[in-house]
Amino acid sequence: MAVITRQVQVGYELPVISRKFRLEDFKRGEERTIHTDYEAAAREGLPAPVAIGPQVAALLFRQLRLCFGDGWFVGGKWDFTFRRPVFVTDFCSARGVVTTISEEGEAVRVNCDVWIENQKGEKVIAGTASGLVKG
Amino acid sequence: MSTLKARVLEDAGGRRTSFDEIQVGHSLGEMDWEVTPDMVDLQCNLDQDFDPLYFLAQEAARIAPPQITYRPPRWLFSRAFNVRGLFVRWEMETFGVINAGMKLKVSASIVDKFVKKDREFVVYEAEGRDMSGTVLFRTRRTHVLDFIERSAPREGAGVDSGIKPEKI
Repeated sequence: MAVITRQVQVGYELPVISRKFRLEDFKRGEERTIHTDYEAAAREGLPAPVAIGPQVAALLFRQLRLCFGDGWFVGGKWDFTFRRPVFVTDFCSARGVVTTISEEGEAVRVNCDVWIENQKGEKVIAGTASGLVKG
Repeated sequence: MSTLKARVLEDAGGRRTSFDEIQVGHSLGEMDWEVTPDMVDLQCNLDQDFDPLYFLAQEAARIAPPQITYRPPRWLFSRAFNVRGLFVRWEMETFGVINAGMKLKVSASIVDKFVKKDREFVVYEAEGRDMSGTVLFRTRRTHVLDFIERSAPREGAGVDSGIKPEKI
């Protein structure tokens, strides 16, 4: 059951999804990568291992799947910018707000501003997403 | 934020591909990709998303999270070029459900490249089709070749190659 229905209004705040990441969340076997290894990260100019971007963006995917259900799997759109590195032990929260609602065939497209912020309140991923609401 | 002021010259995959070597219009080729139930399990575990839609249906009807499509276009990029860098922008549109057990053809090409804030960016687009040719997703990715600015020299070896085993 999708959280967002045709009755949704501009300004509606999407449910917040949070996660505390751990370095272990990004390990793949014994690979030494910029996501798991301090030396590998330092060679690339990074002060510490950085989270895998799509795994952080997954907080938004959970939020949007919850909001739109079937209208996310078919008709879902996103445009995310990874604005600053997320480090592998950061605490991140996905947030969002409905910005516009438009007719699209027999459905309505609900457009949202979405972002992920870290424990300092800095936006680390930001962009837009939309899904279809039918019925 | 940089701790070293040299861009990596080479890694286990050989010499890093330079910005000049990547040409707009270059095809990254095509690959066949089967979305197995194990991949859906792994994706959900990585994302810590255990919605019943992903698990409780019969195997062939299990829905795969749309973001499971992240890696195949990245694999095509890595097959063509030895790049590490960072993912900076992800645009995506879904046109059809991807189910466990489904086979797709994924193709990609370089569509743009630019320099901004003294860093080198490459943009590639990809689409995934089912075996009947129906487009299931389209995506556009922007990738910065190095975290360190382009005015820094290239020297030394990196620990991490962008080339990884092709698995979720």
